[in-house]
Amino acid sequence: MKKVMIGNHAVSWGALRSRVEVISAYPITPQTQIVEALSDMVADGSLPAQYIKVESEHSAMAACIGGSIAGTRTFTATSAQGLALMHEMLHWAAGGRLPVVMANVNRAMAPGWTIWTDQNDSLSQRDTGWIQLYCETNQEVFDTTIQSFKLAETVNLPVMLVLDAFYLSHTSEPVDVTEQEDVDRFLPKREAAFKMDTSDPRAFGALVRPDAYTEMRWQQQEAMLEARDVFRRVEDDWEAITGRRYGAVETYRTEDADLLLVTSGTITSTARHVVDERRAAGEKVGLIKVKMFRPFPTDELRELLGGVDRVAVLDRNISPGHGGIFAEEIRAALYDVPPEDRPNLFGYILGLGGRDVTPAVIDDIIDNTRSTARPEREDLWVGVEL
Amino acid sequence: MSERDITQPRDKGRNIPPVAISETSTLVNPTGSWKYIMPRYEDRVAPCNAGCPVGIDIEGYMYLIGQGRLEEAADLLVRENPMPAVTGRVCHHPCEHSCNRASLDEPVAIHSVERRLGDMILAAPPPPAPERTRTETVAVIGSGPAGLSCAYFLARLGFCVTVFEAASEAGGMLRLGIPEYRLPRAILDRQIERIAGTGIEIRTSVRIGTDVPWTDLDEFDAVFAAPGAHTGKDSTIEGAEGVSAIRPGLEFLKEVNAGARPDLGDRVIVVGGGNTAMDCARSALRLGADVTVLYRRTPREMPAIPLEVREAKDEGVGFEFLAAPTAVELEDGEFRGITCQRMELGPPDDSGRRRPVPIEGDVFSMTADTVLTAIGEDCDLSFLPDDVRTNWGLIEVDTLGESTSTPVFAGGDAVDMPRSVADALGAGKRAAIGIDHFLREKAGEDVGEVPLGALRFGEGNVSALRYAEDEDPIPREAPVNETVTWDQMNPHHFRTAPRHEDHFHNAIDLRSAFGETNFGLNEREAIEEAERCLNCGVCNRCELCLIFCPDMAISRRDDGGFEIDMRYCKGCGLCAAECPRGAVTMTREGI
Repeated sequence: MKKVMIGNHAVSWGALRSRVEVISAYPITPQTQIVEALSDMVADGSLPAQYIKVESEHSAMAACIGGSIAGTRTFTATSAQGLALMHEMLHWAAGGRLPVVMANVNRAMAPGWTIWTDQNDSLSQRDTGWIQLYCETNQEVFDTTIQSFKLAETVNLPVMLVLDAFYLSHTSEPVDVTEQEDVDRFLPKREAAFKMDTSDPRAFGALVRPDAYTEMRWQQQEAMLEARDVFRRVEDDWEAITGRRYGAVETYRTEDADLLLVTSGTITSTARHVVDERRAAGEKVGLIKVKMFRPFPTDELRELLGGVDRVAVLDRNISPGHGGIFAEEIRAALYDVPPEDRPNLFGYILGLGGRDVTPAVIDDIIDNTRSTARPEREDLWVGVEL
Repeated sequence: MSERDITQPRDKGRNIPPVAISETSTLVNPTGSWKYIMPRYEDRVAPCNAGCPVGIDIEGYMYLIGQGRLEEAADLLVRENPMPAVTGRVCHHPCEHSCNRASLDEPVAIHSVERRLGDMILAAPPPPAPERTRTETVAVIGSGPAGLSCAYFLARLGFCVTVFEAASEAGGMLRLGIPEYRLPRAILDRQIERIAGTGIEIRTSVRIGTDVPWTDLDEFDAVFAAPGAHTGKDSTIEGAEGVSAIRPGLEFLKEVNAGARPDLGDRVIVVGGGNTAMDCARSALRLGADVTVLYRRTPREMPAIPLEVREAKDEGVGFEFLAAPTAVELEDGEFRGITCQRMELGPPDDSGRRRPVPIEGDVFSMTADTVLTAIGEDCDLSFLPDDVRTNWGLIEVDTLGESTSTPVFAGGDAVDMPRSVADALGAGKRAAIGIDHFLREKAGEDVGEVPLGALRFGEGNVSALRYAEDEDPIPREAPVNETVTWDQMNPHHFRTAPRHEDHFHNAIDLRSAFGETNFGLNEREAIEEAERCLNCGVCNRCELCLIFCPDMAISRRDDGGFEIDMRYCKGCGLCAAECPRGAVTMTREGI
């Protein structure tokens, strides 16, 4: 069934099809139509779930944690400052090994106050222990929402799926809404590995002494690393039903390329268009889209980028005092590549606070990457006009 | 240097769990020992119950309706109120004025629900008459609401009761004073029939002191005197004496209510601002007159039920406020009208209302064919023996209606001010309890004092059900006689819902008919209205305490109520804070 819908509603439909049982959200700004649509579905009975309205995002995540400990499939959505307010609880969900799924609409952090997109909100939560998946289209948003539950419940870790504010969240595209019975085959009811049992009450999050804390973190890290393989299998299953897959990392016209663009989110679609044009002009330009940011697809990126002459990483984010966050991570991943195979890596900062990244901007980046011998600094800011 | 690779995990069989879960059950930690304050389920009194002079468990029957237990609701209602079909129509419903829901949106339309239940009871076959379990007999003087109420409750307590009524039909002021368009006679007749059906003998056309001497009552073991107030106060209009165009409004009402249709002429002035004045005005209107009510204060001070005033206005009654009649005006020896003095409001008087003060020199004339005075009624207490003490024309009684002369009890309009059907019904009930207590004591039973505190909803009423120690259909948790206020409740769990308003006749059709003007609510509306009740102060098993308890120390009992496992209750107070109706108390007692 194809429906034209905004990205926010693609998330709602994904959650509906996933038969979520508990939804908790704080319903005012920076909340989106994601939970608005879900609250309608709960109210009209089409989604038999508990909808818990709370007074802050911190409480929303706390309620999700409670719902998940009780063994239910649990979902929430947020954005920007709302996600920041959840920070403490994000650690709790991950350390509690709870498969909560959350959609985060990528919105730049205030101040200055903004409602437009960049990735600093989600990337600020890099070390909370959440799996992070960045989406490019509304179809991918719908698919990833459903996949996230399967991934989360397999490795017992929370998953944050991320979509760009406005460019996805408020823009309509046709979405093939997978039929319920197909989703049910892919995603059966959650069976919790451990859960709260009132007949045998236990304390969750109890004190752990130094002699066991490291072991728990080790297990958490093992689960994170396992998630790379699990995601591949999840995509296999989904592809078998729908014919669609995206990959933790996707390559686009990378064959023989001497210059690769690395993107995430909706900039990818613009970059595809530019790559097509450059290829048509005979240039060996290709594109790599990074969907999975945590766990980081280190091996794939080493494999794909090693030996390429030049790489331009497009970061719609900035780690102040350092550089673009994807670029940093990729540089670190490439350290173990033999020196002769290490590409010349250009880390571009662009599109912050929702500034449009047009084909012309990407053309400029390609030209700059080609014509500059070595990048002058780690952070190359594009289009700054003072 | 170690041979071992320190970066490889070693399996030592420690079975480290993936998450931090306690190895033992948390039940080993009796967190209840931390508390310095603890919750207790304590039902309080809903303000409607406290505000009802009759002592009806309004909150209780609303709860039962909400549970779909309509018949039990009706039964609970008639346990406390002998005539709900009447009070649902004519009571001034102080319950609604005290309803906490007014702070949320609008008060529950209690009178409409009561009326619907009352009509439902009348439509059902009557229950069997209560058994005569007592040998003593009681005489009741007057078959108005006070007399019938006393007789009804005495009959339920097992006594033989005889009611003496001076008029040819029972009902007192309900029949003589209240017009048919407010209280249809068919309803009144059936309601009285129901009450008589409890085994009461009603002897009409018998005036004590005239038809039967007072001494004949000696054969009874107790007497309840409820003669009412039937004499209209004389007007102070100069020159009114002997002028037939100026007449007491109550006299006019009695005529009309008996079926007569006197000719009042074209223009009628009604003097007064109470319910009698409204009844006179609206009745005169129905006889075709052009009616103006003359009241010496402003609409704010009118003692009449606001709805009656509104209906009168809607029907076309005119109002002249801040004006008082002073003298008769004649033309060629014939009555032409009255001279009126313009008033202004001065400082408050004893009743708290601002006293009207004449504005010097500001007088005007009003022409009229008839002037009906409705400025209050007096009691004729001449039939009473001297040792029944009176004060300012009212019989003196104690809390349970006993007069200064044993075994004479009294109640109703001859005792209470202000006068209302509800107050009369309450007085009759209190006196029935007083008489029962008195006769038990006389029979040698060790009865002690009547435990008034335990019988009351609030301060001004008593519950017959509690006095008879009958089983309450709604078990109350440790009830405390303390009215719950809005600020003791948690409004966040309530949703607003509009009040159902009674259906009225179109006012334009009215003038020709004395048919009922208010149709009340239909059954569905009445049930929805009952569901608006917030059950103030009383646990209605909403379960929020159970949901909110962070220690899961609250569980359901088999009887539907809740219990708190004090071994684990930390005394956090969430249950009390979340309870929407203020039915959980935090206390230091018992720790």
